[in-house]
Amino acid sequence: MQVFLQTFIGGMSLGAIYALVAMGFSLVYRTMGLVNFAHGSVVMIGAYIASTFYLSVKLPFALAMAVAIGVTGLIGIIIERVLRPLENKDFDLMLIGTIGFGIVLEALAIIIWGATGRAVPSPVPAAPIDLGGLRIRTYDLVVLAIAAAATALLVYFLQRTKRGAAMQAVAMDHQAATAVGIHVGRSNAMAFMIGAGLAALAGGLVGPLLYVSPAMGGLLGIKGFAGAILGGFGSIPGAILGGLGIGVIDSFAAGQFQGYSELVTFLIFTVIIMIRPTGIFGERTVNRA
Amino acid sequence: MTDALEVDGLSVRYGGVTAARDVSFTIQPGQSLGIIGANGAGKTSTLKALMGLVPRTVRSVRFGDQDLTRVPGRDMVRHGIGYVPEGRHVFPGLPVEKNLLLGAYTRRWKGATLDTLDEVYELFPILREMRGRLAGALSGGQQQMLAIGRALMSAPRLMLLDEPSMGLSPKLVSDIVGVLKKLNERGLSMLLVEQNAQLTFEVTTECLVMENGAVAMTGTSESLRQNPQVRKIYLGL
Repeated sequence: MQVFLQTFIGGMSLGAIYALVAMGFSLVYRTMGLVNFAHGSVVMIGAYIASTFYLSVKLPFALAMAVAIGVTGLIGIIIERVLRPLENKDFDLMLIGTIGFGIVLEALAIIIWGATGRAVPSPVPAAPIDLGGLRIRTYDLVVLAIAAAATALLVYFLQRTKRGAAMQAVAMDHQAATAVGIHVGRSNAMAFMIGAGLAALAGGLVGPLLYVSPAMGGLLGIKGFAGAILGGFGSIPGAILGGLGIGVIDSFAAGQFQGYSELVTFLIFTVIIMIRPTGIFGERTVNRA
Repeated sequence: MTDALEVDGLSVRYGGVTAARDVSFTIQPGQSLGIIGANGAGKTSTLKALMGLVPRTVRSVRFGDQDLTRVPGRDMVRHGIGYVPEGRHVFPGLPVEKNLLLGAYTRRWKGATLDTLDEVYELFPILREMRGRLAGALSGGQQQMLAIGRALMSAPRLMLLDEPSMGLSPKLVSDIVGVLKKLNERGLSMLLVEQNAQLTFEVTTECLVMENGAVAMTGTSESLRQNPQVRKIYLGL
């Protein structure tokens, strides 16, 4: 039982990071109907910037993360701005454009930081804390708390602010949104920026858990994407649940099957998606008319 | 206080197809102008193009002393022009009240805007009842009211309406007609695009008849109603 709960909490922590990645995917998808294939690479860039400012510049961990979020937010805006002329013209090219950005970002990371990667020490004491017999890594709790706070902020933004409402309106109907005076391009840029910021948060947080390397974007991108699909692509609550789900499955699979764990994780994912193709919360379709 | 809208030489082409050709008209302050015509005559294209929502060519669009010729679609509302799209196009996943507030996107969501919200609720009491409901869960008639209400929320001086009667029961159509008349009496200028000629003649003082993308006839609504050709084609009499 103890092992079960410890595995579960470890999975939740990793899952919270997948959930952040998944929310970025879903936010951009629901706003623009676009899968941002550069998203994983943005996570990786975020991880590198956060770890660089933390390890080399010696900023406090939280501040290093803030820098990473700022820089990647800017990258998000740039990606949207470059792709904007293709919207409403050639959607496939736009999709391929995001793949191109992913490749460029990965190449940039290799040029700047090298191909080998680095380990990031935990910003909090590595010794686990004891909660009624459960030994939990302190850092897992930090990750969960930060991810929860970021999620709450995002939900507040979407539900309670004018710009959040406008972003949702754009997601539902471009033309009607334009007619009430919303600048669709600017709203899309903001979605990209927030998505990239979430990616950087995920990248910064995952640093002490995994190895930071130029290739990490692929892995985290796929896991986050799977989380978004599992929850129902485009749904924010779905992204949270889906990300957590993938994290927990991952954690148990790693404990039981070691080398085959990825295979098992994606096998389970595939079976769930075959049973429920729209994902947990997937009902809405994106209106691009 | 309201201004005249003058549209000169408006054309819309989709690929090689001309949807509207050299359409010109003027809406006097407080006037309601109608555009009638069969399906595919170019009415909706004209309206969308005027609103700047589809690519167009136009010699000039003037609203009072403002030149709107180069104003993009998203800024038309800032010049006092409200738009009720064909097929309603409410924001289905958002509550009724959020839909209405988004209509006032260009205004601050307090003070006078909340007064406008109250006025809209007075005009359409059912919307007040349904304020927390998702717009997508409303009936067609309620969605039409919501679309009109949303356009009113920007406190427009001119309202463009595209087929507000489409798919509604006769009872609801007459409700909508009542509301449009009331709004017009309060001094709101209107451009009403309709397939339903009967309704249009009732609400407007002057009409354009569009055929194959061009203006085929113009006249007062009363004279058009008496016109034998119009009676035959558009009123089925």
